[in-house]
Amino acid sequence: MSLSDLPDLAALDKDGALEEAHAGLTRAGFIVGSAIGGLALWLPSSASAAKIPASDQEVLNYALVLEYLQAAFYTESERAGALKGKAKQAATTVGAVERAHVKAFRDLLGKKAVGKPQFDFQGVTEDQKKFLKTAVAFEDLAVAAYKGQARRLKSKAVLTSALGIHTVEARHAAWMRYLNGNVPATAAFDRPLTRPAINKIVASTNFIVQKKPKTSSRRKPRYTG
Amino acid sequence: MRGRGATALGVAAGIAAGGAVIAVNDATDQPAAAPPRASVALAPPPARPALAIPAPEGLDDGPDVTRWAHVRTATAARTAPRLGAAVAGRVAERTPEGTTTVVPVTGRTEDPGGRLWLRVTLPKLPNGTSGWVPRRALGGYEISRDKLVIDLDAERLTLLRRGKVAMRAPIGVGQSRRPTPRGRFIVRNRLERFASPEYGPVAFGTSARSATLTDWPAGGFIGIHGTNRPALLPGRVSHGCIRLRNPAILRLARLMPVGTPVEIR
Repeated sequence: MSLSDLPDLAALDKDGALEEAHAGLTRAGFIVGSAIGGLALWLPSSASAAKIPASDQEVLNYALVLEYLQAAFYTESERAGALKGKAKQAATTVGAVERAHVKAFRDLLGKKAVGKPQFDFQGVTEDQKKFLKTAVAFEDLAVAAYKGQARRLKSKAVLTSALGIHTVEARHAAWMRYLNGNVPATAAFDRPLTRPAINKIVASTNFIVQKKPKTSSRRKPRYTG
Repeated sequence: MRGRGATALGVAAGIAAGGAVIAVNDATDQPAAAPPRASVALAPPPARPALAIPAPEGLDDGPDVTRWAHVRTATAARTAPRLGAAVAGRVAERTPEGTTTVVPVTGRTEDPGGRLWLRVTLPKLPNGTSGWVPRRALGGYEISRDKLVIDLDAERLTLLRRGKVAMRAPIGVGQSRRPTPRGRFIVRNRLERFASPEYGPVAFGTSARSATLTDWPAGGFIGIHGTNRPALLPGRVSHGCIRLRNPAILRLARLMPVGTPVEIR
């Protein structure tokens, strides 16, 4: 799938970042990949996660990052209060569902769950048109991502859950496409996206903060005392 | 899709078909004259999902939710949400301690040109001054559901988490000649591992400023910190800062993140 197949992300791509060639894992991909890899190496296993193959846990953590992204996006949109009408209703409903997904992943993975990244949506949560375009892109991306990871899952129990979420994401995609004026379904077959392709697209949005603000220091205080 | 992928498709097809398949009995044990009998055999039920997806719930931020953001680029804060409005103050990228400036966000609007503006509380005198900054000058929103209440008369600090008391401690506050300012502020940084016993092991910086020590180094900001003279607490003993005994500031450091709103009353 090329970027032109995701017209709404392309529309957001004001500076051409989406079209840049990225070699290997991109910045967000590096963060996601390293966080997952690092945690999997040293964190103790929780009771529920211990029953799931390690490779499935890694896929679940990857999906969790995408769920964090979606949940944060809709939650911030709801809090910002800039949406109206059906878009507002959709954001509220879908946001609650995405938060439920996050909770389910975190409950299952326990201490092996990756932490929530920091997000900066750069105002798209506060503008109805930008919100809808981004929502379409996120939902299409999630559908393609779940499809892309399905073949890697070993546990039927995990696969059953992934399919259950995948169809819900597809409904969200259709809903947001309808609200944005896109045809909900045009192709006879949806193609999956690989993880590097997903990472590249997510990184190009710059919605995942790469350099967290510095809020602590070792400097000697100079407060009034 | 092969191997496990084929299994995935099989499982998916089973779920889609409702879990039932029709098999024709070979009927070898039936008399030759009897007609072949069709029987229905149930396919294995779908795998039990690994994830327990909870019912979706609406946002429940609680009574004390506040919004804040870090400063992405230094900018002028204006008295109204438009480029030509008077400058109310400036927000810097960095605090005097070298940390990223964070500001409470208290409002939002769009100008006729479609540009987003945010109203923020400025770290300047008089305390409580607010101004409008372009949305792009700030980073992503963060929220806090906590609140730190400083009661000057009772000389007591209370940390609320979702409206419930998480911690209480006696404190030292400003002397009558160096009063601690009242108002609403934000915890904007955290300093530790410094060699300065009079501030204890941890110090938090707030956006509050002393109205009397205006020439104090680094701007006279009010801190919340430990002490090397715990016997003086509680009392009106400081130059405006909030002093806690060291075990209490260490406990507060475990509970209170940067971005927590502070109400001094």
